[in-house]
Amino acid sequence: MSGSRLRSLLEAYSTPVLLSSILSLVVVVVWMNASGVLAQTVTDALIRVVLVVGLYIFVGNSGVLAFGHIAFTMIGAYATAWLTLSTFKKSFALQLPAILAEHQYPVFPSAIAASSLAAVVALIVGIPIMRLSGISAAIATLAVLGMFHTFYNNWGPWTMGAATLPGVPLYVDMWVALGWVVFAIFVAFIYQRSRYGLALRATREDEFGARAAGISIPRQRLIAFVISAFFMGLGGVLQAHFLGSIAVKNFWLSLTFISLAMLIIGGQRSLTGAVVGASVISAITEVLRLVENGIEVGGTTISLPPGSQELGIALVMLLVLIFRPSGITGGRELRLRLSRRARGA
Amino acid sequence: MERPDAGLSARGIVVRFDGLTAIDRVSISLQAGGILGLIGPNGAGKSTLVNALTGFQRPTEGSVHLDRTEITGWPPDRIARRGLARTFQAGRLFRGLSVLENLAAAAVGSGLSRREAEARALELLGWMDFAEHAELDAGSLPYGDQRRVGIGRALAVGPTYLLLDEPAAGMSDAECDDLVALIDRIPREFGCGVLLIEHNMRVIMNVCPRIHVIESGRTLAQGSPAEIRSNDAVVHAYLGTKTERGRAER
Repeated sequence: MSGSRLRSLLEAYSTPVLLSSILSLVVVVVWMNASGVLAQTVTDALIRVVLVVGLYIFVGNSGVLAFGHIAFTMIGAYATAWLTLSTFKKSFALQLPAILAEHQYPVFPSAIAASSLAAVVALIVGIPIMRLSGISAAIATLAVLGMFHTFYNNWGPWTMGAATLPGVPLYVDMWVALGWVVFAIFVAFIYQRSRYGLALRATREDEFGARAAGISIPRQRLIAFVISAFFMGLGGVLQAHFLGSIAVKNFWLSLTFISLAMLIIGGQRSLTGAVVGASVISAITEVLRLVENGIEVGGTTISLPPGSQELGIALVMLLVLIFRPSGITGGRELRLRLSRRARGA
Repeated sequence: MERPDAGLSARGIVVRFDGLTAIDRVSISLQAGGILGLIGPNGAGKSTLVNALTGFQRPTEGSVHLDRTEITGWPPDRIARRGLARTFQAGRLFRGLSVLENLAAAAVGSGLSRREAEARALELLGWMDFAEHAELDAGSLPYGDQRRVGIGRALAVGPTYLLLDEPAAGMSDAECDDLVALIDRIPREFGCGVLLIEHNMRVIMNVCPRIHVIESGRTLAQGSPAEIRSNDAVVHAYLGTKTERGRAER
């Protein structure tokens, strides 16, 4: 009885369980065997997974391309700095109101608060934008990114303007990042299975059909946009506490495009695609970076010219788009079928 | 102003596009539990009228009432949630979703929880004798089956009125007969009124006790199948277009 219930539950949630298990396995193997450098690389990749899963929640389920999500990452990163910097550092770097300036808040609630701020901002900017569709919506989100970029670049008392804000407490390691990745994967999956996720995926397939089925497109997009922004913000929080410093210039077009590229290469129509895309591109980037720096093969040092990293990623992207236009996963989910006649999620 | 009757009632609908009048003062009414056929030659404005009733096209003039509530100018999703569902000539299924998800999405759209929506979707698929295809992608189905899923999806909204826009288009005679049997059961088993827009006389004459004929955006005739069949204006409109089409094809 309870065995079969457990089995059907495991089957229904096999996608997030499998994805989390695979990533956990990688973390354990790296933790047992490798150097600190590889652990740093893996942490960085896990943070990318959080970002791409966050992007997937909106872009993947709605089919609307969004270029503005990195604004939420920046909002999350700065917000966690305002909360968690020591009062001493705050006092000479920033001019914050007393409630922030005179306290140093614990990191975990700060992570939640900073990510929630990103979600609230998404709610406000999303109300007008989610009424647009197609290319207009995409451009509008790009405008949002430009707006926040300019704003933070010139908001000296809170952000130190274009300068790098140092001294963010370092606490994000591989394990912390893994914990948040697992959380993001489960939330994304639960959302996608929910009535809201189903309604939004229906709008992705056919807008007219969806409206005739009683689905309000702006409303469903807004729900996803807000949840998505929470995880984009969380990615910013993790990055801030992983690198120890933040700068407005790091939350701009290159991060925007690499995150979108990861999603599209992995397969934007599935959660598995988001995770695979972020992992594969991170791995390829790392290998190319190593080779750029020079590796020794049989006594001779081979090194690629600088810029090979970017070119390599572009090449991979082209090849995937040509040979698998809907991404590596083709929009399918990794899942386990335990019973003979399984029903889908 | 007089109170409109219960039912789906459209009065004096006019739809104009840049000076071209697509629908010219058409009034139509449909009771819950009834079937009304809407026929007319190609380009008569049948689909435009359906769009005007379901909120996809705002009428230039006239009003639409759904059980005495005026719904003119409402967005389509709100009209659907109020109980007026439709299918599309072009299908417009959620092609990348499974058949079950197509129906469940519509049930969710009408306000059900995920669990209730799935139960309703499964029940409808059983009713349509289509349960064994529940897991297939809707886009992978043969044409006739896609039409049926479209009807199932509209029923999953839980409508009091259902507008079927040329459900038999492109179907073989055998498929048409199955479709007729299916449509015929809808008013009895779901208690909803059906407006059947068709080009195919075989379908219309077999299921509709009342028929409304439009041509060039205007009402040409209304009545029983027998009356329509013997109406000179209707016969002329149909034969006229056929001859013209024959000439055009030559």
